[in-house]
Amino acid sequence: MSENIERRRFLKCLGASSLILAPLGCSSVKEGESDANKPHYAMVFDQNKCTGCGECKEACNLANNLPEGKSRLLMEQHSGGLEGQSCPHCGKTTECGCERKFVRVSCQQCKNAPCVTVCPTGAAHRDEKTGIVTMDAAKCAGCKYCIAACPYDARFINKETDVADNCDFCLNSKLAIGELPACVQKCRYDALIFGDINDPTSYISKLLRVKDSVRIKPGFGTEPSLRYIPIVKLGV
Amino acid sequence: MDGNIEFTMGLSDGLAWPWPIAVYLFFAGISGGALATALFLRFYKKQTTNTPFYKAAALISFVTISLGMLCLVLDLTNPLFFWRILVYYNLNSVMSIGVIALSVYIPLVAVIALFALEEEIRSIPALKALVPVIEKLKGIRRPCEVSVLVLALAVCAYTGFLISALVRFPIINTSVLPALFIASGISAGAAAAKMLAVSVFKEDLHSQDMKILHGAEWPIMIAEMLFIFMIVTSLMTGNAGAQSAFNAFHTGQWAAVFWFGVVGLGFGGPLLLNFATGKTFSHSAKAFYLSGVCAVAGMMCLRMFILYAGQLYAI
Repeated sequence: MSENIERRRFLKCLGASSLILAPLGCSSVKEGESDANKPHYAMVFDQNKCTGCGECKEACNLANNLPEGKSRLLMEQHSGGLEGQSCPHCGKTTECGCERKFVRVSCQQCKNAPCVTVCPTGAAHRDEKTGIVTMDAAKCAGCKYCIAACPYDARFINKETDVADNCDFCLNSKLAIGELPACVQKCRYDALIFGDINDPTSYISKLLRVKDSVRIKPGFGTEPSLRYIPIVKLGV
Repeated sequence: MDGNIEFTMGLSDGLAWPWPIAVYLFFAGISGGALATALFLRFYKKQTTNTPFYKAAALISFVTISLGMLCLVLDLTNPLFFWRILVYYNLNSVMSIGVIALSVYIPLVAVIALFALEEEIRSIPALKALVPVIEKLKGIRRPCEVSVLVLALAVCAYTGFLISALVRFPIINTSVLPALFIASGISAGAAAAKMLAVSVFKEDLHSQDMKILHGAEWPIMIAEMLFIFMIVTSLMTGNAGAQSAFNAFHTGQWAAVFWFGVVGLGFGGPLLLNFATGKTFSHSAKAFYLSGVCAVAGMMCLRMFILYAGQLYAI
């Protein structure tokens, strides 16, 4: 509930600040002087809240017109049984009562993105305004270098367009019309939070200030913008 | 807080780069290696005529790089998008730099092939149209040869740099790879050109050129072994990711490709054929061709192993 209000406020602020910031953009302030003025969009995945319902994935497919059987995000189940399958946590095929853990598998929106570096045509690029890693489908040659280079295996070939694809926080579908990414909008459990972490007043900044979060494989030096709040079980 | 959250699934469905890329790496290595060897020999011995080895190397170099390009284009998700790589550039990308190198290298190799096969072209009526082209270009033969030598080595090294940029694969992400690819490219390229020189261009099996090439073969092979040894030890003694990738050398089918193909065929074959057999056999044409085929097949196995086993063991 509280987050829904926050979300509304975030959108309002986004609209208001664009009104204030737009004229500033036309002033004599030099581009690229300070990165802090540019947004750094990030997403938080809260494992404590995710139930693995998969509605985020459906919403994403719908918003981004992805072909059948392809999606920009997956949910990996870490424990808890699925019917007919053994529980990855305890190994039982019957009901096991293990808690369910899901992890969002998607583009990590790296600040230092290997796919952008290796792309020979510049098709995998960083959007100038938002800094979000996205694709220019008209430039992609389909060499799959970005797919091989991505440390997270989070890129794929869109079979309809024959070019590479990745989660870009709905940059061209939802953000373009001032909405939150489709998965964030759709999540009934508020397990996904999206916003600008360069803005100290944003909900995501406030959340990250009080919550511990981790990033996947930070050792690659890619500085992912997707953050995870893991389930930490205390005691026995 | 324990920062232990990971996912192991991927979105890409399997290997990003399958066998056509390994075949491309193989062809590019042979092309660069053969031409570099022939030009080294030409400059070293101050040759001015078109020797059989030079002709063979030029022909092989042109044919293999063309086939390599074919593999590359056919591996694109849509081969019709090929022009985009030639139109758009990103100079941060190793592939883009390679495209620039190749787009100079391939025409130059064609020119070198024209120079080298001048006699043959003159004798074939259908190719008469090329003669005036050769006459016109003759003045710049030397600069062409020097720049193509540099580019040939660059293309061999480039194939290594191309894949060593893939950070999540410990076997592939190693700085020794470009050096290994130059060494193995030279040994396989020279072997292929030697066989063609003897079989088609009637080079004497025991000519002076062949002797020098035979002599150079072993140090290059030792360098290759050394580079592979470096990769293996760094994986064996490295961090957890590297150690898990070390499994590639002793478990699974790619370990078999490595031990039988790379070590057995590629190194063991030529060594046994030359040093473990009687002098009459080791100097025979049979031994010559067999060890040549071994060297080329070993190199193909090496490329397949690096690419497949490499992509199998991700961190």
